[in-house]
Amino acid sequence: MYLLDSRHTMLVLLAMGAASTLSAQTPDLSDAEVAHVAVTANSIDIDLGKLAESRARAAEVRQFAATMITDHGAVNRQAAALAARLGVTPADNAVSRSLLDGAATARTGIEELRGRAFDRAYITREVAYHQAVLDALDGLLIPTTTNEELRKLLTDVRPAIAAHLQHAKQLAGALGAGR
Amino acid sequence: MLLGGSAALAWPRQVPQRHVVEIKGMAYHPAVIRVGPGDTITWVNRDLVPHTATARKDPAWTTESLAQGQEGALVAPLAGELHYYCALHPVMRGRLIVAARPSSWRQQ
Repeated sequence: MYLLDSRHTMLVLLAMGAASTLSAQTPDLSDAEVAHVAVTANSIDIDLGKLAESRARAAEVRQFAATMITDHGAVNRQAAALAARLGVTPADNAVSRSLLDGAATARTGIEELRGRAFDRAYITREVAYHQAVLDALDGLLIPTTTNEELRKLLTDVRPAIAAHLQHAKQLAGALGAGR
Repeated sequence: MLLGGSAALAWPRQVPQRHVVEIKGMAYHPAVIRVGPGDTITWVNRDLVPHTATARKDPAWTTESLAQGQEGALVAPLAGELHYYCALHPVMRGRLIVAARPSSWRQQ
């Protein structure tokens, strides 16, 4: 278990709090809202990955960032294609906004750092973020999705998120992040 | 695969075989495969995200980055165990066990 600094802890709680609050109050996110959350979650990680790809010191961290850009981009292309085929327009919602707010806060804290401190902060954030996304997939997004194709896409994406989380944890250990 | 008796005589060495490893759900299926020296292994990517098969101790022994639906092939080395992984997702691991097939296989 990795200890997270207060900023990252806050982000995870914010994201999960919004998710659990929403799921408690409105058990069903519409499929259009689920799609928006999924695309937003991918885009957030792509954006931070672009920063890390250019700024990280360790080659392994730059490679991880490149993989995040590639993988989350591939998922978003599939999501966009599916939404177009289904005639669904992803709909903005409180969970998406919470994710974006959290991302902005996290980025502010990370982008002022350089060198090894940057690497540690980025990877610590990636551990927390992928854990939060995994929890949101299991606890909110997959259960509330009614369209079978969208649910299959989310289910197919889950192993990739889990692998990213494991990869990030390994890097965190190697960097001594979160200690 | 059909291995004719005359072919076995004409080529004293074993006729290389082909094997397929599927990549699905961020894992190689099968994760461990027994092959003969010179056999060809083809990896087929069924995942949304790209993957490689890359030898741990020899980064030159690698497929290209395989997008969804793409496949890449490599030839097994002479003998021994070869551990490989996905260069994009190092948590994905596979293993080749390379050993000469029993001579009876050649005579079939």
